[in-house]
Amino acid sequence: MQASAKPVRMAEEPQSVAQRIPLWIYRIVALVAGMALFFPPVNPGRVSEKINSAASLFTTGISYSTITNSMGRILRSQWIQDKDITLLMVSCVILMLGVLFCAAGACMSLGNRRMRRTGMLLPLVGAPVMGVGLFMIYRVYTSIAAHAEEVGKASTVLPILPTGFTVFVIFAALLFCTALIAFLSTRVQADDEKMNMDEKYRLFLMMLPVILLSFIFAYLPIWGWRFAFFDYKPGGTIGPDNFVGFKWFGSLFNDPATVRDLVRVLRNTLIMSGLGIATSWLPIAFAVLLAEIRSTKFQRVVQTLTTIPNFISWVLVYAIAICIFSTDGFINSFLTNVMHVEGANTNYLQIADHTWLKMLLWGTWKGVGWSAIVYIAGIAGIDQQLYEAARVDGANRFRCIWHITIPGLMPTYMVMLLMSVAGILSNGMEQYLVFENAMNKDVIEVLDLYVYHIGIGQNQIPLSTVVGISKSLIGVTLLFAANGISKAIRGESII
Amino acid sequence: MSKKDIAATMHIKRSAGDWIFDIAVIILFSVFTFICIFPFYYLLINTISDNDLVTSGKVNFIPLLKNAAGDGVFGVQINNYLALRNVQDLGSSVLVTVARTIIGTALMVITSAWAGYLVTKQKMWKRSFWYRFLVITMYFNAGLVPWYMNMLMMGLTDNFLAYIIPGMVAPYNIILVKTYIESIPASLEESAIIDGAGTTKVWLKIILPLSVPILATIAIFGAVGNWNSFQDSLLLMNNSPELYTLQHRLYIYLNSSSNLGAMMSQGGTVSEQAAASMLNQRVIQYTVSMVSIIPILLVYPFMQRFFVKGIMLGAVKG
Repeated sequence: MQASAKPVRMAEEPQSVAQRIPLWIYRIVALVAGMALFFPPVNPGRVSEKINSAASLFTTGISYSTITNSMGRILRSQWIQDKDITLLMVSCVILMLGVLFCAAGACMSLGNRRMRRTGMLLPLVGAPVMGVGLFMIYRVYTSIAAHAEEVGKASTVLPILPTGFTVFVIFAALLFCTALIAFLSTRVQADDEKMNMDEKYRLFLMMLPVILLSFIFAYLPIWGWRFAFFDYKPGGTIGPDNFVGFKWFGSLFNDPATVRDLVRVLRNTLIMSGLGIATSWLPIAFAVLLAEIRSTKFQRVVQTLTTIPNFISWVLVYAIAICIFSTDGFINSFLTNVMHVEGANTNYLQIADHTWLKMLLWGTWKGVGWSAIVYIAGIAGIDQQLYEAARVDGANRFRCIWHITIPGLMPTYMVMLLMSVAGILSNGMEQYLVFENAMNKDVIEVLDLYVYHIGIGQNQIPLSTVVGISKSLIGVTLLFAANGISKAIRGESII
Repeated sequence: MSKKDIAATMHIKRSAGDWIFDIAVIILFSVFTFICIFPFYYLLINTISDNDLVTSGKVNFIPLLKNAAGDGVFGVQINNYLALRNVQDLGSSVLVTVARTIIGTALMVITSAWAGYLVTKQKMWKRSFWYRFLVITMYFNAGLVPWYMNMLMMGLTDNFLAYIIPGMVAPYNIILVKTYIESIPASLEESAIIDGAGTTKVWLKIILPLSVPILATIAIFGAVGNWNSFQDSLLLMNNSPELYTLQHRLYIYLNSSSNLGAMMSQGGTVSEQAAASMLNQRVIQYTVSMVSIIPILLVYPFMQRFFVKGIMLGAVKG
């Protein structure tokens, strides 16, 4: 297997250590530089304190509105000139082009000797291009500083040479030197074949864009956990002066108001998840009973119609709740016009009684038909001979259900159950957000909704981050625990 | 012998208890099915009946229009749907939602098909590591606020791209595609490679045509997800009402305490009388709801074929 996987042309002599080290340094620096494009703290283009601190180099290059959105008067009065901003954007684009060249070189450095050598030519062009971009940014900086001095607004405009500038200068220098060493130490010999790359690296490079997207949107948010350690206010900055260590973690246990909120929210979360788990057998009952109906047409109709609610959003469920349960909804008009009940005008949605139960019923209404499908498929997969044998042995249908159908569905059910135990803190927020109102706020707010309210609604970024971190960590722990239990009992992992 | 035949032979002798049980089950399912679909029907008849009758709660089971005497008689009208043209901000939400459904779904399907194929390649450098790298994101997330701060950092707030780019890599769908491709006989791919086709060409000419069923499955589920999207619009589009998705817009309509009729712009081709009757907030809410349900109901029959496949493949992890 191993031998056949390698192409025949691997006769090429292996790289020496002296060749490999600069190449690896080069690749790592190129990767870091590539990612630094999207990383606001090292934006070399932030040549004034007034440029949006949330703008990365990439954003600075492409989005005029983002970099200028906190300038206001400075821009209107032209204390920073438009031409400087345009030039800044152009230089950022040039800098990015240089980084792109270097990144392409890093990709090619995975190829054979000839490809490596050619690839190392790219940074020998790209790094100077980065240099040009950086020099232009420096010129913009001096120009902005001079202009601000001229109009006497240096203290408002606050021109700076950002740390990112130094960082990118170092990147460019490192990339250039390592590429040069790698280039010089890789001699092309007469018998070298054409440019080529080992298939394993070629496949990896094809996969790389997907990996990077996943990294940016699923892993990079973890970098946001740093807000938990600072007294951060939206629009502000974080630095040594507002570093507070574990203060916010402590406030989960020390601050009376937070503790009160958390206890209430956790109570709601656990009760609603608990109700969900306690009724998690409903889809099985649904599937088993449906299978007992002998008309397949009836089965199909029921299955079709009961699955529809699963595919509408919670907002639409709420719309339906309004049209059935509000003051002028179906229930009230039915009571008034058909049953002739006097004064039927209750808005059932505004009543906080039995909120947990109502939420459970909405969840069941929406989900039970859909959840049953997996069990219906499971029942169809049970060997019919088992039933025949049981019949011959004199089992009635209830015994068949109890001794054949249910045990046949148990493995699937265990997986579902363990997953819902692992997700006990994650109820999602949409359902509770749409059904929330002034009356039921206290009993409907679950953890996810609480995080939304304090984080996005009240801008308490650090506290909501801390709650989010705790929730993520507990969630992962529970998942591993559930997986461990599953392995111990069933000898199969669920993740 | 099919299952039905077996059942027929097995149930030759049915006791009274069996009969009662059967009837009870049928009644149970009939009631539950009724509960599942009646709200949709009720919503529909309220949008196609006379608005005065709707307001006074007369429309309960059949759509009604007024006769000369002012009483309700069976009949339908579609003026409410025509009048939606004048509801402020609705057009842009529909446009944004349609655009993200088409573009977002297409990009997601292409990415899943591509990544799902590549992760089947044993030769890839550190293949199993990268596969786990993608899959693990299903079970772990950094939390709502760090995610939001990340999107802010990326400049993806108040930006249409926020609807389509983060959704491109969908680990669950990648698993589905991978599992499906692994079930395709390897000999097909091998013969193409022997004929000199590269990875991309094999993917285009062999893998894609063969995996149409699974791609259709993830496409249709992805499209429904995009159509129903609400949370990202709520979180990320604070300063850009023109980028609100339809569900977000509906959420605002449902919660607006002011009379929605007042939000209607002036003019338009709808007669003054119709416009006046549109001043009914409830009816607008119902009609907009109906508009956002209809596409789901339209694709629903096509989706059904894919249900079991989608779920069952998901059960086979790895």
